[in-house]
Order: sequence, then C-alpha cells, then structure tokens
Amino acid sequence: MNETNIWTEKFRPSKFDDVVGQQEIIKRVKSLVQSMNIPHLLFAGPAGIGKSTLALIIVKDLFGERWRENYLELNASDERGIDVVRQKVKDFARTKAIENVPFKVIFLDEADALTKEAQQALRRTMENYSNTCRFIMSCNYSSRIIDPIQSRCVVFRFKLLEKKDIVRVIKKICDKENLKISDEALEILYESAEGDCRRAINILQATASISPDITAEMIKMISSQAKPTDIKIVLDYALSGDFINARDKLLDVMLKESVSGTDIIKAIQKEIWNLQIEPEIKVRLTEKTGEAEFRMIEGSDEFVQLQALLASFILAGQGKA
Amino acid sequence: MQLAEKYRVKKYEEILGQDKAIIEIKEFLKQYPKKRALVLYGPAGTGKTCLAWAAAKENNLEVLELNSSDLRNRAKLEEIAKPATEQQSLFKKGKIILMDEVDGVTGTDIGGIPEVVRLIHSTRHPIVMTCNDLWQSKLSPIRAASKVVEMKPLDIGTIVSILSRICEKEGIKKEPQFMKQIAIKSHGDMRAAINDLHSYADTGDMTVDMTEKRDVEENIFNVLRRLFKERQEFLDLFDSVNLSLDEIFLWIEENIPKEYKNEELAKAYLALSNADVFRGRIYKNQSWRFLIYQNIFQSAGISFAKPSQLLGFTKYERPKRVLKIWLHNQKMSQKKSISKKFAHYVHCSTKRAMRDFELLRPMLKQPSTQKALKMSDEEIGFLNR
Repeated sequence: MNETNIWTEKFRPSKFDDVVGQQEIIKRVKSLVQSMNIPHLLFAGPAGIGKSTLALIIVKDLFGERWRENYLELNASDERGIDVVRQKVKDFARTKAIENVPFKVIFLDEADALTKEAQQALRRTMENYSNTCRFIMSCNYSSRIIDPIQSRCVVFRFKLLEKKDIVRVIKKICDKENLKISDEALEILYESAEGDCRRAINILQATASISPDITAEMIKMISSQAKPTDIKIVLDYALSGDFINARDKLLDVMLKESVSGTDIIKAIQKEIWNLQIEPEIKVRLTEKTGEAEFRMIEGSDEFVQLQALLASFILAGQGKA
Repeated sequence: MQLAEKYRVKKYEEILGQDKAIIEIKEFLKQYPKKRALVLYGPAGTGKTCLAWAAAKENNLEVLELNSSDLRNRAKLEEIAKPATEQQSLFKKGKIILMDEVDGVTGTDIGGIPEVVRLIHSTRHPIVMTCNDLWQSKLSPIRAASKVVEMKPLDIGTIVSILSRICEKEGIKKEPQFMKQIAIKSHGDMRAAINDLHSYADTGDMTVDMTEKRDVEENIFNVLRRLFKERQEFLDLFDSVNLSLDEIFLWIEENIPKEYKNEELAKAYLALSNADVFRGRIYKNQSWRFLIYQNIFQSAGISFAKPSQLLGFTKYERPKRVLKIWLHNQKMSQKKSISKKFAHYVHCSTKRAMRDFELLRPMLKQPSTQKALKMSDEEIGFLNR
C-alpha cells in the first residue's frame, strides 16, 4: 500500500496484535484464520469500533500480498439493490481463489441496510457460492439480520471501545505526527466521538490541519461544525409557530448535510432536552418524536413524517397538544 | 374553416399576453447552440405551438415537425430525425425541429425519452418542444438538457380583446359581457375560448352556458381549492385530475400551510402522515388494497381537518420539494463522487462520507489525498471553491 495521508487508513492496524480492544473476538477469529478455513462471519456493533478493520486483517492474513484479488468489499447501503449485489458476487465468485486458500472472501458492510426480502435473496446467493466464497457481514444491529442468515454465520458482537482504548489510539497518532494534545482536549475528543474511533481520528486530523498544538476549544469548534446544530433552529421556528420557515430550514439541513430522516429524528430527540421549555412539554414532544420515528419505518416518505412532526410541535409550543 | 384555425397567430406581434416567452425564445435562437433545445410548457391553448411556428417564420426557418404520438419507437425517430439533423435542408434554408407534446413520449422504453435526449445532443438545428406538464419525473432528462420557458394561462382581459377583434372581422355581434363570460369559462385557454365563440356565433344567445363543462382535465388548482376550502367526502375528487395520487400528494403537502394553521395544520398533516404510512405498506408488500386508505386520508382527511368551510382566495404553488432536491443533487454531484472515492478508499459507506464531508474537507484538500483518490479536475475545483 502506498503512503497515505488519510489517518484512518495510515493508522489502521494490519495485524491481529495491533488491534485495540475487542480482545476476546480477536483471539477467536485469529484461531479460525490459522486453521485456514473460516465459516461465514457476522460482525455486529456500532460504527467505528473495528469491524471493517478486522475483516481486512483476516484477508491480509489469509492471502498475504495478493489479498486484493481475493477480496470483494460491498457496502449494502450504497448498492442500488440486491440485484446489483448478486451480480457483483456472481462475477467475483466465478473465478477460483489463488494461493493455497480454497475460497475467496466477500465483505458485505452495513448488511442491515438490506430489506428482509433482499436478505432472503442474499441467503440463496450465500448457499450457491458457499464452495468458493466466504461471507463476512457487518451490521449495527444483528436483530435486523434475518434468522436464516444469522444461523449460517458465526456471530461476533463488538463492544463499544473503552475510553482508554481510544485515548491510546489518539496518543499514538499524536506521537507519530508530532502533535501536542492536552488532557482536556483528549477528554473532549473522546466525548464528541461517542465511542466511534474513526470519527475520533477524523476530528483529530481536521483539527491538526489548523495547528499541531491541539486544544479543547479547537476540538469543540471542529466537532460542532460537523454536527447538524441547525436542528435547533428548525425546532425554534416550529415552537414559535412559524411552520413554513421550519419546513424550509429542515429541508435545507437534510440536503446540506446529506442526512436521512432517521438521523434527523435522532437529532431532534436529543435536542428536545436542550430546549428552554417546560419539562412536561419535553415529554410530550418526545412522545410525538417516537411516534414519528415509528411511522417513518412504516411509511414511504420520511420528509412527510417530519413535516407532520413539526406541525404537532407547533401545537405543543402553544401548550395545546 | 374553424375559427380557431383561421385565427391562429403567425407573428410575434400577434401573440398577446406572452411577452416574456417571446423574449426567451428570441434569446434562445440567438444564443443557439449554447442551448440546443427549448421546452415551452404550460396548459392547453396558451400558444405554445403558435409561438414555435411564429419563431420559425420570423427567422425564415423551415419547420420539421416530429409529432411525438407518431414517433414512439426508435426506428421511426431515427428514420425521420437523423436525416433532418445531419443533413442541410434542400433549399438551403435553416430549420427548426418542432416536437409537440413531448409528455406523450414514453419514459424509458426504447425510442422514448432517452432518444429525445440523444437527439438534443446530436442535433444541428434548434429543437423546440412543447408539453403541458414538465415536472413529471420521466421528463427530468429533457429538463436537464434544455432551456425551459413557461407559458401562463392567458388573462381574461387578453382573451376578451382577442375575441372582440375576431367578432369584428367575422361580423359576429355579441355584447362585451358575453365575451367576458366565454373568457372566464375558458380558464385561460385561448383555443377553447375561440371554439366556444364559434359555437355561439350564429345563435342569438346573449349568455354563455357556464355549466356545460369541457371534458378536459380539471385543473389541479381547482382540485386543491375545493379540497382546502370545502368540507366534503371527496372520495372521487382526484379522478378528474390527470395526475397520479403521488403527484397530488406533493401538491397537497406544498400547500397545506398556506391554508391551515395550528390545530388544522397538525390535523391535516396527521392525515397526510396516515396516507403515507399506507402508501409505504403498499410499496413494501404490494398491498394495493390499501390504496383506498391512502386516497381517503389524502382527500377527506385533508378536507375535514378544518372545523368549517374556508373563504377567500389562496394562491397555490407548484410542489417545490422535488425540484429543490433535484437542483441540489445537480449541484452536489461533485461532492457525491468525491465521497464515493473516499469511501472506497477508507472502507466506509458513501453516505457516511457525505455526512462527515465538512470534517473531511481539510484532508480532501491536501494534494497527496487528491492524488491517492485520483480526483478529477472538476472535483478538485469543487473543493477549492
């Protein structure tokens, strides 16, 4: 691999022993790989805790230098449907693996983005190519993966990285890149990353591009800038009764930040508790928010559900709901 | 001869009430081939086809008409269109290619919209298209490749003055009040007004039968007006308008806050939310039986959100959301392609890279990263903007 300046790549562990945290999982996976025969694997856990990293280590360990030829990475949330996924798998699985390993590896990231029907189709594909391919799937919630697929996989549940683990990673990078970081800044960095190591490293790199001397204020500035704080403005408009502005602003935020309706709902739910309103109203708003999230899953147009939510907030803002 | 045919306008100066469109088409022909195609859109009888012919005449151009209803397949499009675009005219006259009613062309079928778009890119003569509803999703490739010009319904005054002139020339004797009634009934459709005049020409009638409805589609604005102003069990309200339930949905969504406030607003949105939930179930399980629920929430649900009838005039607007998203996506295509390259490089999803884009920007600006991701000049330009 060429020298890279993207730190999440530059400092991505490439050996089992370099991985921080997840020690139990590493031990078991390592012994599976040493036997040169892995089953299908399912990695479950939140973002930025090493699922993709571990998959990469597995293929590098299995295939050595030629891992790229024997490895296909697909991201379910980016592919345009199960048919595309199946076609890519088919094309890839057509040729035999090289080296002395009898199979190739397909890493299907964010597999829980697939619908149940798509997963059923995927299960057939897994069966058809089980002679020549092993699947490693990752997901945030294993409950969103249908049982027949779970039962075909060994399931590993990744834990959120502990504070000391993330601090260790960050300190190591600061060392290598000649950065100075205060303890307070480390603390803030850990908090704003919310256990997501990839995010922590990205925030660190964005901050380091301003100055190698990293302070808590800089981290705060950089990480808040990347969050949809504009949600508060949307809520303020709605609670003051200005529906049209609330709606326009909401669409702007969604387009500008390229966030989904579900992400917006989560942000609203968090933001409610920071508002300067009666706690009683906060509870009512939360109730509405939960209902909207539920409807979003059932419905077809997230933005309509968000508008309905804003309309109900207008009443709540007047103490009528 | 039909009056409507006889009094078809032939010169710019004869076209009344469409000054803006005339300026736009003049500009288009002057600037061609900066834009190779122009779409004139608007309701029936606003002078779209007349304007195209007038433009040809004023510029001494020959018109090659491609009637899209005849040309639904690729073979014909190629046979007729290609020679016209690739050869010069016999009499060394310039040409204008006129495609009437492009909304009649099928969406993705062979020889449909994609062929029209290819034609736009390969043509050697300006193309002028007309259509009623430009905002159907299937027409978006044409929208992207063309200059678009709206033709608004004619106002009553303009129609009355045109009708009066015709009466004078034809020796038809009618009161101004009569003319006005015809104009009102026409809803801005000049051709309909002239046809109505024709039908009364030899009768002694001095009033117009306003109930005798033309069997054309009900205007979406009228449907919205009834939906928002009246309180009725509107179960078949949407049958009269030539839009899909989903398109009507967007119209309602856009205009709810113009009519309803506070409780009414929340109630109407709840109904719309219910309609959407059932729509989701239809999509996911193909349970078309649920369509009736979507329809009821979307019609009666909206109508009964208010305690009593509403009065007054409200100016409704076209749904802006789809257009806004589309424009945004056009603008953001570089952002997306950069995110895709980055995501591939660092093993995460494109969506995630898009979400964290501002955070990633400093590192994407580094020349070493740009080299590693093999960014194009446009992508680098986007980052430096």
